Amino acid sequence: MEDTELAKAASGGDPDAFGELIERHGLAARRVARAILRDDDDADDAVQEGMLAAWRAIERYDPARPFRPWLMRIVVNAALDWRRRGKVRQAEPIVETLESGGLGPDRMAEAALLRERINAGLAQLPERQRIALVLFDSEGWGHADIAAALSVPEGTVRSYVFHARRAMRKTLGTLAEGMK
Amino acid sequence: MTLTPFDHEPDPELGRMLREALTGPAPEAFLRRLRTAAAGAERGDQWDVLAGWARPRAMALAVAAGFLLWLGTWFTRSPAADAGITMASLPAHTVVSSQPPAADEIMAALRERP
Repeated sequence: MEDTELAKAASGGDPDAFGELIERHGLAARRVARAILRDDDDADDAVQEGMLAAWRAIERYDPARPFRPWLMRIVVNAALDWRRRGKVRQAEPIVETLESGGLGPDRMAEAALLRERINAGLAQLPERQRIALVLFDSEGWGHADIAAALSVPEGTVRSYVFHARRAMRKTLGTLAEGMK
Repeated sequence: MTLTPFDHEPDPELGRMLREALTGPAPEAFLRRLRTAAAGAERGDQWDVLAGWARPRAMALAVAAGFLLWLGTWFTRSPAADAGITMASLPAHTVVSSQPPAADEIMAALRERP
């Protein structure tokens, strides 16, 4: 079932339909919120707030437009609002709890270094470039959907992605070479 | 990983690294948390919305009613009405006389007003 059909059902009061939309977009929303806030707990709380806001506003969603930019705009606003209200606990880079997943010590150390570099690279990007990069390269969104989510022209999104990638290349380039 | 900034397609390698760094621990538990929060918010929030709508409007209605009440009172106690009462309360000869009434007659008439 398409997102718009699920959104229509949710608008009619079907919580399971909205639950399915959460399943589809919840983790992308989490990644974007973590890229904005750079704190695990703040990001999770902000996503929850955004999802609840979307659930309350689902009747105002226009099915003629794509659903995921509508949802992501609400989540991005919730994350920005979270920070504006000074709820952010800390501004430290995300420190992951490493789950070995059967990796050896060398591979785990390499993965930890990679995360550290990614977080450092994201931290140096302006906020909107960070969001555009995550949506484009991590989530596979097209420029049009990102533009709708950020309420900017498509050309601006292309510029965001271009500059973000160039900055990330500097940060990650040497590491990537070492990993080959 | 190419990371060519001019690419118009997502870079799968960069995408994988971003997802690895940003997905966070226990994704299933996180999604469960969101679903539970949305399910729990359903009924209470509808009433919250109604309550949020009602409070400012009830206050505005109360203010408007108070204003109308004050306006009505003000009109019923207008100078013309007061003058009517005063004229009616004065003795007849003070009204028809060409001379102004004496001070004690005016005071007596004012004291008699309801």
